[in-house]
Amino acid sequence: MKKLFIALLSFSFVLITSVAQAVEESYPFDDAKQQKIFGELVEELRCPKCQNQNIADSNAMVAIDLKNKTYELVKQGQSKDQVIDFMVQRYGQFVHYDPPINMVTIWLWLVPIVIALALVLFVLKKGRREKESTGVDAESLEQAQALIDKFESKGKS
Amino acid sequence: MLPEIGHFSLLISFVFAICLAIFPMIGAQKKIVEFVALAKPLVYANFALLSVAFFCLSWAFYHNDFSVTYVAMNSNSDLPWYYRLSAVWGAHEGSLLLWVWILSLWTAGVAFFSASLDDEDVARVLAVMGFIAIGFLAFVIFTSNPFERTFPLYPIDGRDLNPLLQDIGLIIHPPMLYMGYVGFSVAFAFAVAALIGGKLDATWARWSRPWTLSAWGFLTAGITLGSWWAYYELGWGGWWFWDPVENASFMPWIAGTALIHSLAVTEKRGAFKSWTVLLAISAFSLSLLGTFLVRSGILVSVHAFASDPTRGLFILIYLLAVIGGALTLYAWRADKVVSTHRYKLFSREVLLFINNVLLVAALIVVLLGTLLPLVHKEIGLGSISIGAPFFDKVSSIWFIPFILVLSIGPFVRWKQDRFSRIRNKLLVGIVPAIIVALTCYLTLQINTFFSLLGVVLATWLAALVIYELITSSKNNPLPLTHWGMSLGHLGFAALVIGIAITKVASVDKSVRISPGQSVTVENYVFNFTKVEQFQGPNYSAYHAHFDVSNGSDTFSLKAEKRYYKMHSNVMTEAGINAGLWRDIYISLGEQLDGKAWAVTANVKPFVRWIWLGGLLMVLGSIMCILDKRYRKVLAWREQKTAQPAASNTMAAENAVSKVASDTVIEQRIKFE
Amino acid sequence: MKNYKLLIPIVAFLLVSIFLYKGLYSDPTNIENANLAKPFPQFQLADLMDENKLYTKQDLLGEYTLINVWGTWCVTCRVELPFMTQLRQQGIKIVGVYYDNAAEAAFGELDVRNTRKDVTQMLAQLGNPFQFNIYDEKRDLSLDLGVTGAPESFLIDDKGTIIAHRRGAIDHRVWQNEFAPLFPSASGSQQSLEQN
Repeated sequence: MKKLFIALLSFSFVLITSVAQAVEESYPFDDAKQQKIFGELVEELRCPKCQNQNIADSNAMVAIDLKNKTYELVKQGQSKDQVIDFMVQRYGQFVHYDPPINMVTIWLWLVPIVIALALVLFVLKKGRREKESTGVDAESLEQAQALIDKFESKGKS
Repeated sequence: MLPEIGHFSLLISFVFAICLAIFPMIGAQKKIVEFVALAKPLVYANFALLSVAFFCLSWAFYHNDFSVTYVAMNSNSDLPWYYRLSAVWGAHEGSLLLWVWILSLWTAGVAFFSASLDDEDVARVLAVMGFIAIGFLAFVIFTSNPFERTFPLYPIDGRDLNPLLQDIGLIIHPPMLYMGYVGFSVAFAFAVAALIGGKLDATWARWSRPWTLSAWGFLTAGITLGSWWAYYELGWGGWWFWDPVENASFMPWIAGTALIHSLAVTEKRGAFKSWTVLLAISAFSLSLLGTFLVRSGILVSVHAFASDPTRGLFILIYLLAVIGGALTLYAWRADKVVSTHRYKLFSREVLLFINNVLLVAALIVVLLGTLLPLVHKEIGLGSISIGAPFFDKVSSIWFIPFILVLSIGPFVRWKQDRFSRIRNKLLVGIVPAIIVALTCYLTLQINTFFSLLGVVLATWLAALVIYELITSSKNNPLPLTHWGMSLGHLGFAALVIGIAITKVASVDKSVRISPGQSVTVENYVFNFTKVEQFQGPNYSAYHAHFDVSNGSDTFSLKAEKRYYKMHSNVMTEAGINAGLWRDIYISLGEQLDGKAWAVTANVKPFVRWIWLGGLLMVLGSIMCILDKRYRKVLAWREQKTAQPAASNTMAAENAVSKVASDTVIEQRIKFE
Repeated sequence: MKNYKLLIPIVAFLLVSIFLYKGLYSDPTNIENANLAKPFPQFQLADLMDENKLYTKQDLLGEYTLINVWGTWCVTCRVELPFMTQLRQQGIKIVGVYYDNAAEAAFGELDVRNTRKDVTQMLAQLGNPFQFNIYDEKRDLSLDLGVTGAPESFLIDDKGTIIAHRRGAIDHRVWQNEFAPLFPSASGSQQSLEQN
């Protein structure tokens, strides 16, 4: 068991091999823009073997491999989309947490919008109907409402 | 012996639940007084029986009775006593028992505080809750019995509780969450009972409100705790991952948020009745759906319980009975509900409805985002993942109209108002919003459009909430519900600010570092002083010590890596220095060759505000519940003689509103 | 029922239930490999036993070949070795892709000699199904293949197109259901296997 512990603890990043005095960053970049792309990518790419983790948070072997590959590609100057394409080609769409838009995933956007519009239209239509029909007796309506309000505020105090 | 008593209590409780679902309902429909009178005794008996069952299981855990399979699987004699007790709900079977016990608690609460309601109405509500209990009790008894014995052979020691759950956050997180999920069953039961009884007046809304508010408060607390726990326990400093199981708790929360607002309209103005009923049904249905998602294993999640298609099928059939039944009833009876109330387009009613529409749209996004990968795969298009990038994109657009409506709403009058009347008031918030945004831009390098907009809108909202409180409390003391609402809205503003800033301004550095070396992140120098070995009660660990300083602010931190031998599981305990303006967060990674360790050091500005927001919302809901108007509603004794004034006012109020609406209708008929 | 709008919630719920029901019987962790029906990736890697001997994709072409990604550290791989050795005896060409364990590889100059010793020992004990083993030292080939762990197997046809994939061990049942039918002389290899 103890051995296993040591083995588990000694998981590490393959990239780091040299021993140096100064602290090394695990994934050093000279270019701030590349660093940003890398930071976004490791959070958007999914570890294909884990339950539900991105490759930044997982220590599974395949997650570390993907992280190293991402680093290598970003260092080469590839754009975010190029790296995502590279990964999707090999691991399928599953590897990216943002699905492509297709016949099915378009509904992710359409259904909420359609429902929200339908509900708003419903209220607007209702409101207009009320306006027409209550145009004349608005005064009495208001009187009745004032009556209610008066009694409600009395009830509260 | 005790486990058998517990099991037996469960069985009797099952029979009682069946009686509760049948007789009071028949009694209420056919006016049989004796049947109606059965309801409350059955409810109290059920609560007592399930308390006994729960106690028996806790006892078995406390005394390390490993002849009970569930105890042997989830506890260990090395486990400290408080974790042995919280291990009761540490896995599937026991957490279900907690669920049914909490359901019986809520049911007993409704029975206890319902003296001011008609006996028949209460009987219907309790019967619906009994019907809900049947399914869960059957589920516990027939598929997930926690009292099963390992006889004739039994283990000397148990397999230990999952190390992830050995934590204070996880002791209270599930009970809070379940109080929330199950609490929505009260609003559900009121809605269904009202549909069955055909009485959809303002009374049911007034009645549902305090119950829904408390359930919502518990759920908010549960989700906030869960997020906080994930932050310090999972070791990557995240607080929300859009995991299916997180979404499963978020969906009922959104529906519940919409419901508490819609109930306000229905209670005060009698509008949107049918819509409110639908929301009441949805909130609890989504809780049930969440249970299904977590326990059936159909989605890939870090939190899921062990999967089992039989259990999944059982819950699915139960869902069809409860949700399907309620929605069928809704389709059948809801068109008899007529909202007589009139309002103009620019009125608080409409703004609250738009707020509801936005919440429902958000709910549908989360629901689709959670379930669509399943659909995508089932129709043969392959596996996809829907996660943070998608949800972040949607929510950063969505919150703009939401927060605008939310800010304006409290200023607008019921029924009708003019925008010109409130225009000047809205300008009040602009100055602080611009100052705060500029400060963030200059000091924290918040430079993305959406995060700046988030800060601006949230500050604007907070300023307006405070302005509104000041101006309206000037004339007369405000009711507690008003304070509760304002606090809740302030909580939302804090949440938005926290998310907007921490998302953009957090800085982390992953380094390889040996004792004696240091690393600098955002002006903070992290000095790695030493690593120590440590022996816990049921784990061994490495403690990494750091001295952190930015010149003025100096403290030491301890990041930990634990190895639990029973589960051969490695856990990280992050070293955190918490502050209102920033958290310093160190997580210890793997030991590398030599003395070096992989370490991630983070500076996370404003991350506390996320949970602070949750806390404010919980406090807001507590204030609302404590308001005296609900003390009238939630009478536990007949108060007609004791407090004639109160009940008379209520009666008068009802009578007057009836007369008033009759007048309105009469006048309309005359006109037409 | 006059108001059809009220039917929307129940209809939506029933629709969702259908997918929930179907979802109960499908394993969410079973994700299809993205390389299916695509050509096997190009590579140039050394033999596990001899670093001077290099292989490329050309070495896999010409006949139906089973590519097995494995490692001595992987427990499930041990389970499938004997069955795959049987397959080899049936005349199926099997090539191993040796997938190194990161935990060991972490120490940089992982001694390939140790690995060779382990491999020789294990193959002698459990049977050797492999015509040869490709040493995927940096796991680049495995990454190109979309491998998530070991064992995984790919069947490629004579032109080098991947026609079948399996995550996890291959046993008799899996072979008969998913792999054997894909061979051009499917009936032949099936019969010979069933005699065993």
